[in-house]
Amino acid sequence: MKVQVFAALKDYFDKEFEVAGKVQDVEALRQHLLELNGAAGNMLKICRFAVDDEFVDPGYQLKENDTVCVIPPSSGG
Amino acid sequence: MNYLSESPLDVVGLLAAGHHPKAGAIVLFSGEVRDNNLGREVAYLEYEAHASMAAKLIAAIIEEAKQKWPLHIAVAQHRTGKVAVGESAVVVITASPHRSEAYAANRYIIDRVKHEVPIWKCEYFTDGTRKWGGNCNCHDITGDANQHVYEFDEVKK
Repeated sequence: MKVQVFAALKDYFDKEFEVAGKVQDVEALRQHLLELNGAAGNMLKICRFAVDDEFVDPGYQLKENDTVCVIPPSSGG
Repeated sequence: MNYLSESPLDVVGLLAAGHHPKAGAIVLFSGEVRDNNLGREVAYLEYEAHASMAAKLIAAIIEEAKQKWPLHIAVAQHRTGKVAVGESAVVVITASPHRSEAYAANRYIIDRVKHEVPIWKCEYFTDGTRKWGGNCNCHDITGDANQHVYEFDEVKK
């Protein structure tokens, strides 16, 4: 699947990258990202995840061709 | 309606389009870039957005505001890219028959936009450093990234 990260997460990951193999759900993806770069742990704990422009729960079942966006807390305004 | 803009917001033009014959009150909020934050000198800000999600969410927030208050006009536009000190980063305009609804709806819209819409600021300081900053940190209080503490709720209390 494809993962897209935003804002402060770009200091820890490429803006867009592929995750190969089976990732069961959003929580498993969060754990996978944590293993890729533990320094992003504090940020990953508070991020939301989105698929097809909709926020999804930690238990959301991921498919291989999903594009998952990792959304840090907002800081607009 | 463009909810995001890469170019400077036309605050005066948006206000001019905010007049309505049935509205006795227009409230315009402009969130502007300060030259300082937490004692540090700010050179400029840069905003990034998840554009498609941000546009959808702003549209939904405006729609919810229209359900709550009798608004004839409700507009919100947020900058992306580099925004200079003194420029407007976000504008919210609400027009209603009387001022109390226009104020309340305006505050509701800007609060929800700030907390919920995937837009992020990066502060660039005059000393050459930068910081992704000013995150919504409601999760520290609520324990849930989807639960926020809003100013408009504080006002109601």
